[in-house]
Amino acid sequence: MAARGFLNLAQAAEATLIVAAQAKDQAAFNELVKRRQGWARALLRRMCNNAAEADDLAQEAFIKAWERLRDLETPAAFPGWFRRIAVTTFLMAKRRQKAVFEEIDDASPIASEESTPEAAAGAKIDLERALARLSDAERLCVTLNHGEGLSHSEIVDMTGLPLGTVKSHVLRGTDKLRRMLEAA
Amino acid sequence: MTEFNAVLKRAFAEAPEPVDDGFSARVSVAVAGRERLAKVHALLLNVGAAIAGLAVFYGLYVFATAFGQDFMASAGLEVARAHGALSGSATSWSAPAQSMLTSVGAVMTQVLLVMAALAGGAVAYRAAQD
Repeated sequence: MAARGFLNLAQAAEATLIVAAQAKDQAAFNELVKRRQGWARALLRRMCNNAAEADDLAQEAFIKAWERLRDLETPAAFPGWFRRIAVTTFLMAKRRQKAVFEEIDDASPIASEESTPEAAAGAKIDLERALARLSDAERLCVTLNHGEGLSHSEIVDMTGLPLGTVKSHVLRGTDKLRRMLEAA
Repeated sequence: MTEFNAVLKRAFAEAPEPVDDGFSARVSVAVAGRERLAKVHALLLNVGAAIAGLAVFYGLYVFATAFGQDFMASAGLEVARAHGALSGSATSWSAPAQSMLTSVGAVMTQVLLVMAALAGGAVAYRAAQD
């Protein structure tokens, strides 16, 4: 609490909240959770395809973040740092459920067809419903690649999956989403 | 594919995020619970370390009362002998040396016991810290 002083939490910058939370200020961390819960839960819901499970994992990820916050070197690195915790928490849960990410049903590459300009231009995707139709691994890789803007190598670093597998999952997942959009 | 990628990225960016339906409050309660547990854990560790320290101290105290006098007497005797030998009163080195070795051998068990107790205490303390 000493680190916070007379800090107005609602108006404080995120970096200030993080520094205070690193000093074990629970109120500052709670404010940080309020600001980041939407992003964290959306990320995990996309990966999990199950809202209740995703919220449980998000809570677990925030608790881990609280316990490890002192390891965070700079407040600016918080989003990437927390994303890694969330993804690791998700992967550990999937491993407990014996989900297999490495295997690909059909390893042959899918032809990268050009989408029609009509489909690409004005289409509005029902993202959650479309993602629900992907496999766990495709959903994970597509979410991290397109949703979080991570490169293939960053996804490899975060998930531990082989580069070829990540590329395949991104390509196949994206292709499936494109076909769904065109069919809609 | 590139155009579709742009559409996809936009869809991700524009997708609505879940509203805070008490989620942050639940996290807050969970974090507070963890903190309470951590405090209890730290308290138990400190109490355990204190008890271990007292046990080691008491063991050394009992040991000192049981063997302290013998040990000090042996040591004093050997110091006196060494002093005598060094001052030139002794004609031979072999007898005092033999006697000193015997005394050292006699107290070696006690010395090893003390060392083992100290090492055990240190290991227990280290384990409690971990």
